[in-house]
Amino acid sequence: MKKKQLLSLLLGATLSIALLAGCGSKTDESATETSTDSATTTTEADAGETSNGEIKEFTAFFAVAGTEINDDNEIQTIIAEKTGAKVKETWLTGQTDKEAIGTFIAGGEYPDFIEGGSGTPQLIDAGALVALDDYIEKYPNIKALFSEEDWNKLRQTDGHIYFIPQFGTVKNEEKVCTHNDEAFWIQTRVLKWAGYPEVKTMDQYFELIESYQAANPTMEDGTENIPYTILCEDWRYFCLENAPQFLDGYPNDGSVIVDPVNLKIIDYNTTPTAKLYFQKLNEEYKKGIVDPESFTQTYDEYIAKLSTGRVLGMIDQWWDFAYNVNDALKQQELDAQGCNYVPLPITISEDVKNQWHNSGAVLNVSSGLAVTTSCEDVDAAMKFVNDILAQDIHDLRFWGVEDVDYNVTETGEFARTEEQRMNASDTAYKASNLCTYSYFPQYTGTSDDGINANRPDGQASEFYDALHPVLQECFAAYGAKTYVDMLGTNESPGSWYPMWSFSNSLNTSTPGGTAWVKIGEVKHEWLPKIVMANDYEGAWADYMEVYKNCDSQAFLSEMQTELDRRMAESAKFN
Amino acid sequence: MKLLNKNKKKTSLGDMIFYLCNGIFMIAFVIITLYPVFNTLVISFNDGTDALRGGIHLWPRKWTLKNYETVLTKDNLITGAYITVTRTIIGTLLALVTNALLAFIVSRKRFLFKRQLSLFWVVTMYVNGGLVPTFLLFKGLGLTNSFGVYVIPGMLSAFNMLVIRTFMNGIPDSLEESAQLDGAGYMTIFIRIISPLCKPVYATVALFVAVGQWNSWFDAMIYNRMRSDLTTLQYELMKLLSSVTNQGGSVENLKNAAGAVTPTSVRAAATIITILPIIMLYPFLQKYFVTGMTLGGVKE
Amino acid sequence: MSLLMKKKVKEKINEVPIQITWKEIKRQKVLLFWSFIIVIYGVIFYYLPLTGWVMAFQNYKPKDGIFHSQFIGFAKFEQLFHDATFLRVIRNTLGMGVINLVVSFITAIVFAILLNELRNKNGKKLVQTISYLPHFLSWIIVTGILHEALSGSGIVNELLVKFNFIDAPINFFAHPKFFWPIVAFANIWKETGWNAIIYLAAITAIDPCLYEAAAIDGAGRWARIKYVTLPGIKPTIIILLLMNVGNVLNAGFEIQYLLGNGLVQSVSQTIDIYVLKWGISQGDYAIGTAAGIFKSLVSIILIVIANMIAKHNDEERLF
Repeated sequence: MKKKQLLSLLLGATLSIALLAGCGSKTDESATETSTDSATTTTEADAGETSNGEIKEFTAFFAVAGTEINDDNEIQTIIAEKTGAKVKETWLTGQTDKEAIGTFIAGGEYPDFIEGGSGTPQLIDAGALVALDDYIEKYPNIKALFSEEDWNKLRQTDGHIYFIPQFGTVKNEEKVCTHNDEAFWIQTRVLKWAGYPEVKTMDQYFELIESYQAANPTMEDGTENIPYTILCEDWRYFCLENAPQFLDGYPNDGSVIVDPVNLKIIDYNTTPTAKLYFQKLNEEYKKGIVDPESFTQTYDEYIAKLSTGRVLGMIDQWWDFAYNVNDALKQQELDAQGCNYVPLPITISEDVKNQWHNSGAVLNVSSGLAVTTSCEDVDAAMKFVNDILAQDIHDLRFWGVEDVDYNVTETGEFARTEEQRMNASDTAYKASNLCTYSYFPQYTGTSDDGINANRPDGQASEFYDALHPVLQECFAAYGAKTYVDMLGTNESPGSWYPMWSFSNSLNTSTPGGTAWVKIGEVKHEWLPKIVMANDYEGAWADYMEVYKNCDSQAFLSEMQTELDRRMAESAKFN
Repeated sequence: MKLLNKNKKKTSLGDMIFYLCNGIFMIAFVIITLYPVFNTLVISFNDGTDALRGGIHLWPRKWTLKNYETVLTKDNLITGAYITVTRTIIGTLLALVTNALLAFIVSRKRFLFKRQLSLFWVVTMYVNGGLVPTFLLFKGLGLTNSFGVYVIPGMLSAFNMLVIRTFMNGIPDSLEESAQLDGAGYMTIFIRIISPLCKPVYATVALFVAVGQWNSWFDAMIYNRMRSDLTTLQYELMKLLSSVTNQGGSVENLKNAAGAVTPTSVRAAATIITILPIIMLYPFLQKYFVTGMTLGGVKE
Repeated sequence: MSLLMKKKVKEKINEVPIQITWKEIKRQKVLLFWSFIIVIYGVIFYYLPLTGWVMAFQNYKPKDGIFHSQFIGFAKFEQLFHDATFLRVIRNTLGMGVINLVVSFITAIVFAILLNELRNKNGKKLVQTISYLPHFLSWIIVTGILHEALSGSGIVNELLVKFNFIDAPINFFAHPKFFWPIVAFANIWKETGWNAIIYLAAITAIDPCLYEAAAIDGAGRWARIKYVTLPGIKPTIIILLLMNVGNVLNAGFEIQYLLGNGLVQSVSQTIDIYVLKWGISQGDYAIGTAAGIFKSLVSIILIVIANMIAKHNDEERLF
């Protein structure tokens, strides 16, 4: 009997709680529908009670994948003491950015700071963001981030600025050592074997790989080489698809070529160069030079392949492989065998000048750091953004603590020991010690001291010292000191650049956006097919037939409209 | 006598062959199922950078405990573990009681709305209002930013109810009838007579619910995103792993977050940490359904 | 033996619907009280969110919410069914759904029965514990291992070449014809042990007297499995089958997403992937909701039909 009562009680209690709550739901629900700023429940309330009464705590959500740092992170604490504020950062997990932003908007509750990714237009639409125009004027460090023209590019249709791009700001003289972008890469051992020849065209590149492979089919330990591999997984298939724009000597506009003279949009998928490029891949595939697993491998497998040092060459963007692969090569001492990758200035023919690397900053006008209407003290939030742009805090963010994370030489130059470099790339150390506030505005280029780079990866001495002698030798043979020197630099393209910031924001609500998704689908299926085809001409014709059905013209004309708009906007400043 | 003997011998020869084949099959089965788990374990003890080279199968090439250190020193892991254990216990108990009760009701032969009530629940398995309306509902109910969202919404599920109901249907009606003759009410019959017989199916459902609770992280992320004191173990681990599973990412996102990719070996360590408690829990439940229950005593 | 079974079946057929009378209501007041509470719970948590279905008929904008978005009628449904990709995606989803349903059912039942036949108690426990472990591995780990095993230099190709089944390694992931079988195999690999748990629980409920009686009747092992074990777990099998018939359109997302590539995308994309591509990642909520409604309707039609068949054959049924 007792048992029975207990059970009923338990059941009754839970169910009636649910019930009661259910009755009260109606009113609350309609309230949240109409007002977005009524929500004031942020964690700030309990944040006030933490250790130091003086320190303000903000919350932030970034709709990109990222790594959380520990609550008691050392540098975060130092920055908090200096600026009087800290930010608890949360990142995207297991969702797309639009989904995550969609739930925030539905709930009407936001963190103080937000980076909406491709959900940014939705946030603006929902009135979730604070117009920052007036605040920007108040804070000099923020104001200094961009030129008047660039700030103007960030204005939305209502004339207000709602977000601050975090990247693409160069302070003082530009300092770049690594070519962070796309290129044809090749292992130094191949170049060394051939006596460091000039390699300028696609044909020369593959000829070099072929002859090396014929002479040295294996690595020193007998592992078979993979002459050339292509990563095609999902959105990473840029390693296969966008080379035609570079081969024709254009910069990375991403989705189209912009003819800088006539200011016309060109579709790089159908150019003669595109046909030649895929034909080359087709020939090399038949010769066994292109890795037969290219089109089915996953990113993990691709990285694993490169890490063994077996792959002689590929197209990729530096950040997509180098951080993982270089560490692995180093650990196995494969860099001594010449397995490190260097970029080559490849184009379709010798008379075309390459534009793989551009100097200057790339302004992404599609998203950035925003302050939401849930933030109770917008001034304090903006002050924090302003504070962490100050040189001393900026150094703390990217270099770390002096004498702990880096040392200062007699000449005032920052340098790191091998151990300090290891720490900087160690997951656990980063979580407990380093705090870059990586999705807050930041600089590259040179520090105010005029000596050091704003970030370690731009520090030439630091960069060169860390290179393996084999790599230094290769650089020397080409008269280069950095990766960038291998390619040569170009002036930054016109003020339309980059067009990808527009194609990224397209969606299926316009014919052009629909065409853009369709084109992607078709290329995913057909590019591997034509590379593997027995009859290339026939396959190419079939591909073009299918491609036509995507209504690519709709896409191109929307791109043209945007290009014209951008040029008209910038004309106001010249 | 002779006949019986012969018969026995015959079956045991057939049995011998059967047992042999079955044994071989089971060993093969164990090997192919165990391999992925074992391989994950091996990789979790291997150096992360070294593991990138691949080719690690049965033994770590470069032994290290660092992956576990990375996972275990993660902030909020203790809070997450505490919340996860709590929600697993409370959630399982709640789900078990409510599902069993519902199953009991719809398995009564005399119950007036047997079919209607079953249909009402069966439909819930196949309809879904979507994330946004559900979010609004939970917010309206005050379930967001609360512990309740972990245990109340998923409490009753048609699947679990049907599993229990099927089992209860197999219990002879005569038991209920004789108890009713003795003057027992429905609640007494449920608690005293039916439930003790349902131990195997209760154990099964408890396992399903507990595993579901243990593994869930989506609710923690959606409804309690800004409440780090209500985080769950799996959500913390997911955050660690998310950088590799971001579907439909874009070049620009990753370019700026460069280097944020979590090594395979750390993923492996996180997986092992997740599985371990469940392996330990299993034997306790297992006794209810491997040994075989004797229902003989309650036969009509 | 078979008489006993028949008797049981007869019992069920003789069910007469009980008339709703005050006497009966009073008699069942406890049951009615609890079912009332449970129904309220169900309405709140399962039926109320269905108001969200209205999104399929709207040009839904998060800012306007469900109540203020622009109404567009069946435009999204039309768009779906005029899209050749969507039709292909339905075919893929159904194809993989049916294969998975059939194969995973058979393997789980066979495995449960074979496991039950193991004589060694400890061996039995050990095998069972191991069998369900893969359930806890994420798909990303499982697909990673599968990819390695089936790669050009993987163990499968190595064995096939060694035993002269093929001349040169096959690139399994480059051929559409291999995709569905690979998905089915991966599902079996990961879930057989887990799915078997429920049957094992059902087997334990079989009265041991039945086995004894069968043994005395001279039934061999196969006869016992056929006439005692299988009929004993039949209700469980039927119920799970009915439930899963409604799930064939939920053939999955992750595994196809992780194993698929451009070359096989014509057979690998499922409804869920389609929704991600054309709906969610485009910020188009209506498409996703419309596809969801379509799936729900098909599921409900399927289970109603399946339930009718079950009723016709006097088997256990869902409702």
